[in-house]
Amino acid sequence: MGLGYHHRALAEDLTFQVRRREILGIVGPNGCGKTTLLRTLLGILKPVRGTVERDPSLAASYVPQHENIDTILPITALEVVLLGHMARESAFRRLGAADRRVALEALRRVGADTLGPQLFRDLSGGQQRRVLLARALAAEPDLLVLDEPTAGMDVAGEAAIIDFLRDLNQAQGMTILIVTHLLSLVLNFATSILLMTASGTIVHGPIEDVLREDRLSELYGVPIRLGRVGGQRMLAVDRQGAGDV
Amino acid sequence: MFEVPFMRLALGASAAASVALGVVGVYLIIRRVVFLGLVLANAATVGAAVGQIFGWPPEIVGIVTTVAAGLALGAIPAPRRISAESIMGWAYATAAATTVLILAGAARADADTLHFLYGNVLAVRPSHAAGLALLALAVLAVHGLFAQRFLLVTFDAEGAHVGGVNARGWSLLLNLWIGVTTAAAVHELGVLLTFSLLTLAPTTSLLVTRSLRSTFFVSAAIGVMAVFLGLVGSWYLDLPPGPSSVVPLSVAVVVAGVLGNRFSRRAKPASPK
Repeated sequence: MGLGYHHRALAEDLTFQVRRREILGIVGPNGCGKTTLLRTLLGILKPVRGTVERDPSLAASYVPQHENIDTILPITALEVVLLGHMARESAFRRLGAADRRVALEALRRVGADTLGPQLFRDLSGGQQRRVLLARALAAEPDLLVLDEPTAGMDVAGEAAIIDFLRDLNQAQGMTILIVTHLLSLVLNFATSILLMTASGTIVHGPIEDVLREDRLSELYGVPIRLGRVGGQRMLAVDRQGAGDV
Repeated sequence: MFEVPFMRLALGASAAASVALGVVGVYLIIRRVVFLGLVLANAATVGAAVGQIFGWPPEIVGIVTTVAAGLALGAIPAPRRISAESIMGWAYATAAATTVLILAGAARADADTLHFLYGNVLAVRPSHAAGLALLALAVLAVHGLFAQRFLLVTFDAEGAHVGGVNARGWSLLLNLWIGVTTAAAVHELGVLLTFSLLTLAPTTSLLVTRSLRSTFFVSAAIGVMAVFLGLVGSWYLDLPPGPSSVVPLSVAVVVAGVLGNRFSRRAKPASPK
């Protein structure tokens, strides 16, 4: 497919497949079209050419960048989660105690159970992200799609969210698509990578095949070194041109 | 004052319209499309003017043009180089100018026409007052049935779409609902008061309330209080009722702005990371 806005293509001839239970990290430099790709995959945008095919039985939930969420509404964190839960129900169905239990459980799972009664707009960026993640989970999806899910979080919060997502994938078999400009976020988390370049091309495959020092250095315009510390993949910009990672 | 039948009718009609406009107006404000209220009110006057010219029922034509405007504006994709409000501004200017031009070229533009176009709640007929009461009940019923969907597509339309909700369809339905309510109110209350009830009452409410339920309730209540005060002022000071009702609404926004800031500073909890 080709993707873009108003018939103007940002990227052409993109062909790839996402399998069930996969964790796909969509990465690339700022402005390369990561969010546009995500919005196209989700059907929010139409591809300028070609098609996106999705198993119709697949239930998807989307955690957008929290800047895109309305904050005028005087809505509590619990009500935000309930909105997500009720999206799959008939428009005529009334909220019940069971729905509230599902929403509270979703908040608890993301470590935000104390935020339920607070107004969403009064929460910090990191707390809003957790609530939006709880909203997505309350819809009980097979496919979870996240756009910059750890923006505004500290290191501990970021690690907790990544661990939580990994657990969702392993325990429940949930397929996860994650867009981030932070390569380090997906290095030890994703099972495959889709690397987008500023020229509109993609490289898709296992992490070891896609994330190579020469490719990343050329793409980002700085010398990038990859290595391992304590069994974990690490990435760093080599400011001397030949420094150790 | 309210022993006089026409004053009782005026109070009943304007209170009913205030409830209807106060509820749909909250959606208008939280969707950040305040101008849409002005566009819809003026689209109703265009329809009424066209109806007058061709001898068609102005109320019906007004509702048709308002609904058409609401649907058309809802269907326009978000432009990248200008804000959505700019398109609303264009639509408002076009509708207002069209009304004036149609009336300028019409031989039949008399006092009755002006009543249809700009409203006069003191001259409301019993059947129209009953119509507004039905409108208020219908608005409350639609709100009760579909508030969850309307709030979902307002809060995060893309998330709703991905979740399987027809976000575009619900947004259009919301615009249509606001359009019908606005068009029905304009003929009795006039453009100025209709727009003020659509925007100032919900704005005041959003400034002082901290829950969804109270926001809708307070918005409707503020509208009713404002039209009551406006009619009292109109009676004793011999002033037109529409602008007299806008004054308390306008003051309420300022007072709520001051009180709301103090209240939110006190009420906002410390947010741990």
